[in-house]
Amino acid sequence: MSYMKKDEDADQTMIKLDRTSVFQDARLFNSSPISPRTCRTLLTKIAVLLFTGEQFPTNEATTLFFGISKLFQNKDPSLRQMVYLILKELANTAEDVIMSTSIIMKDTAVGSDVLYRANAIRALCRIIDATTVQGIERLIKTAIVDKTPSVSSAALVSSYHLLPIARDVVRRWQSETQEAASGGKQSTGFLGFGGSSQAHAISQSNFMTQYHAIGLLYQMRSHDRMALVKMVQQYGTAGVIKSPAALVLLVRLAAKLAQEDQGLRKPMMQMLDGWLRHKHEMVNFEAAKAICDMRDVSDAEASQAVHVLQLFLSSPRSITKFAAIRILHNFASFKPHVVNACNPDIEALISNTNRSIATFAITTLLKTGNEASVDRLMKQISGFMADITDEFKITIVEAIRTLCLKFPSKQAGMLSFLSGILRDEGGYEFKRSVVESMFDLIKFVPESKEDALAHLCEFIEDCEFTKLSVRVLHLLGVEGPKTSHPTKFIRYIYNRVVLENAIVRAAAVTALAKFGVGQKDPEVKSSVSVLLTRCLDDTDDEVRDRAALNLRLMSEEDETATRFISNDSMYSLSTFEHQLVMYVTSNDKETFATAFDVATIPVVSQEQALAEERTKKLTSATPTLKAPSTGPPKGKANGVAEAVTVATTQKYAEQLMQIPELKEYGTLLKSSAPVELTESETEYVVTAVKHIFKEHIVLQYDIKNTLPDTVLEDVTMVATPSEEDVLEEEFTVPAPKLATNEPGIVYVTFKKLGGEHSVPVSSFTNNLKFTSKEIDPTTGEPEDSGYEDEYQVEDLDLSGSDYVIPTFAGSFDHVWEQTGANGEEVSETLQLSNMKGIADATEQLISALSLQPLEGTDVALSNSTHTLKLFGKTVTGGRVAALIKMAFSSKSGVTTKIVVRAEEEDVAPAVIASLT
Amino acid sequence: MAGIFRTIYDWLLRMFWATEMDVTMIGLQNAGKSSLLRVLAGGEFTVDSIPTIGFNTKRVQKGHVTLKCWDLGGQPRFRPMWERYCRGVNAIVYIVDAADRPALPVATEELHDLMKKETLEGIPLLVLGNKSDLPNKLSVDELIDAMNLKSITQREVSCYGISAKEETNLDAVLHWLIARASR
Repeated sequence: MSYMKKDEDADQTMIKLDRTSVFQDARLFNSSPISPRTCRTLLTKIAVLLFTGEQFPTNEATTLFFGISKLFQNKDPSLRQMVYLILKELANTAEDVIMSTSIIMKDTAVGSDVLYRANAIRALCRIIDATTVQGIERLIKTAIVDKTPSVSSAALVSSYHLLPIARDVVRRWQSETQEAASGGKQSTGFLGFGGSSQAHAISQSNFMTQYHAIGLLYQMRSHDRMALVKMVQQYGTAGVIKSPAALVLLVRLAAKLAQEDQGLRKPMMQMLDGWLRHKHEMVNFEAAKAICDMRDVSDAEASQAVHVLQLFLSSPRSITKFAAIRILHNFASFKPHVVNACNPDIEALISNTNRSIATFAITTLLKTGNEASVDRLMKQISGFMADITDEFKITIVEAIRTLCLKFPSKQAGMLSFLSGILRDEGGYEFKRSVVESMFDLIKFVPESKEDALAHLCEFIEDCEFTKLSVRVLHLLGVEGPKTSHPTKFIRYIYNRVVLENAIVRAAAVTALAKFGVGQKDPEVKSSVSVLLTRCLDDTDDEVRDRAALNLRLMSEEDETATRFISNDSMYSLSTFEHQLVMYVTSNDKETFATAFDVATIPVVSQEQALAEERTKKLTSATPTLKAPSTGPPKGKANGVAEAVTVATTQKYAEQLMQIPELKEYGTLLKSSAPVELTESETEYVVTAVKHIFKEHIVLQYDIKNTLPDTVLEDVTMVATPSEEDVLEEEFTVPAPKLATNEPGIVYVTFKKLGGEHSVPVSSFTNNLKFTSKEIDPTTGEPEDSGYEDEYQVEDLDLSGSDYVIPTFAGSFDHVWEQTGANGEEVSETLQLSNMKGIADATEQLISALSLQPLEGTDVALSNSTHTLKLFGKTVTGGRVAALIKMAFSSKSGVTTKIVVRAEEEDVAPAVIASLT
Repeated sequence: MAGIFRTIYDWLLRMFWATEMDVTMIGLQNAGKSSLLRVLAGGEFTVDSIPTIGFNTKRVQKGHVTLKCWDLGGQPRFRPMWERYCRGVNAIVYIVDAADRPALPVATEELHDLMKKETLEGIPLLVLGNKSDLPNKLSVDELIDAMNLKSITQREVSCYGISAKEETNLDAVLHWLIARASR
């Protein structure tokens, strides 16, 4: 009892800790003889301060550090442990921490007391610096293979932290680490002499050692892919590794390898498949998740993983169920038909008392279900909508939104569901997601328009969120006039004018005006003008202004007013913004001599913007509650290919403007994506970008020198075109100096001999030329004399696709006919035997041709045949359209028939040639 | 049984008459500080020991006196830190390699720099010329002259020639130190 009281008191003094007073007390460390008890209390106070975020300034930390190092003369083990704990924390702020190295090394030696040996090793790695790591090499090596798991773990983790400081030294500890990684079996069996509980504890943490060893091994070998593969295969064999955590690491590594290298995919998939049947749940989950996340995983591969997850769905533990359903939920976004098999089990989870599980179950079912089951599910959801938090409601609404776009015929049921939950209580975020879903319905499912608008009208009658009211009113203004009974909406809108605050009133006036301007029906027009006239007396000036402007527009006879109001097309906003920023931030005074030219901004029609939005919404997976790294990020790239191309070109244009010689070439028309000319691990890493100008081609070589202690000077690139009669080299902009790991740029420019409209196609052999100089290690300066060297990198191809820019068009058939009528057509049949499937081929063809996929053809629906429709413009503005028919058979790969039509001469054959 | 009595006797002795004293051992690298301490503590002399990084401590028991010895690293990077560990100790032991004549000027300079520090005023100094077993060593008198020890005033200064390897003259060192304990 009394003991308890004392503890409470101690607790209170801890709370009132003050840094300065504790620092004053620290003089205690210098007293002699040392009292371990009081010193420990004081150290604990310092620890409390440090762990609650207090920072000691450098001079105080240094004084403390030296004071504490005096405590080493006392051998009390618990004091010593505390000392190590604090030293570790102070090591970052204090100066001269290296002083304690020797004394700590004494504790880490083999013969020393085991109790705090691990602590000593962990502290040692914090205070040591790169030059002395070599001195502790032998010590750490023996510690790694020590029989005591805590010591071994400490040594492994310390090495992990030392790796960035002293890479070369730590790498020499590989064989010891390997021994630790596979050492799991020896010490579990015969620890008979210790008490049973101790043996248990040791065997438990012993597996942890494996985890640490695997982690360290991975870091050591992270640059050597073959070593990593060997590691996965060696330790992945059943029984070698006993720690489930270590196995999870291996699973992730295997997944990463399979992702990066197609050649490794098959063996790694086999390993993953084996782990699905491991006895630890943790490993099963990780393997299943890895398989589901794999890029273009086939149905057969995934089915086994899904089956394992299905078994977990009926587990009695909530956490297991949750983990399983979450993985299935993410996977269902991409391959609903595979997850379909689990539907009976998932349905059982809908009524689960854990709402997180239930929500995931429902949203998964919404994705996997066929049209028939949707209605039933909707009914079930409405049953428990009231019980869950807003966050989960939003997840469900998002799921329903995707569903609406997928099954437009089911819109009636979903609309009534949405309007139902719209009436429920809920916060702004929730209401917003519901309203946005309805907006999407109106935009993409025309049949639902009238009903949805009616529901929204009702919603704004009683809406507490001004922002949402304004958005709904705007939509009513845009869509209302096109409906069969526009007058119905006018009443709702005018109600807002009467009842709401100024912001909503202003929005309502603008919405009203859209019914009036350009209105053919004189009756409607006059009633709108009556209503607007009333608004002229509003108390708010913005409302009055808008009413006045719109009344004037209504009385205007010509088309300008209608066009202004209906606002059918607008500038591509991202481009617009970028151009403006470029203009405003320009350093060149001449830029300001001419006014900013709006005409250079591409205009996007409403239709175009909508189509793009829809593809984006369908391809991007909707779940908001997903783990950070789930889902293959494919698809998205295609939807915005156009924007990406424009953006990269602008980025390079800025860079190229810095070089005076290139200025006279005019504006940059197109820049290609970077092409790698070397492996990323070679001495000199080179990537190239092709820039197309009106009459010139500029090759940009980004070169990085990865050799340590070497400087390259006068770096040039000798690029020799294979076709000499189409291109003529003009000049080279060399990189004067390349230090280690600092990227530099070399430009080589060519003149198109065929004139402005020619499409020269060629390949270049590239030779890097430079003077290599070694850096004197003592002075850090490069030596005076170097030697000249050459380094050949891979060839660079300039192909037809480099002259085309992906462009969006509303209807492919339309542009196909048009380009066919006034251009030339070339067709070719190709056998693409290296492609692994239709999806793969689609992706590769889009990027190889650098054209924009239209009408959603970038997503292959069938595995045997597919038609890809592509469109783009050449840098000079001529249209290019391509129609590609593909058929896949496992024997011969993908057979494609490509038809390219282009308005300009030579373009079509050049584009096709870029595939061969 | 006798062991128990012995322990109790020792304990009583320490309880009532035991004194502890702090001694700092400094000197240039490779002068033999760590080796000397090992031998003083009753250990074996080893030829190749690793350089001390930072500092090390050892307790040496002699009669009723416990010497807490701080053995500091002698490399240039650690020399600025000597002063911090010399504050408030009972004695400073400065060890010189008596056979390494070229290093002597540096050793002299470092010692005189240290002795000028105000915080170390009045602390007794014992200079030891180690490695007296080597052929071309300096004698004690030569050492005193070479290091200009006579110029150090305001404190007790002694100079001995010793050999940690042959264990010559070590008892004299211990006696000198213990005599400073009463201070």
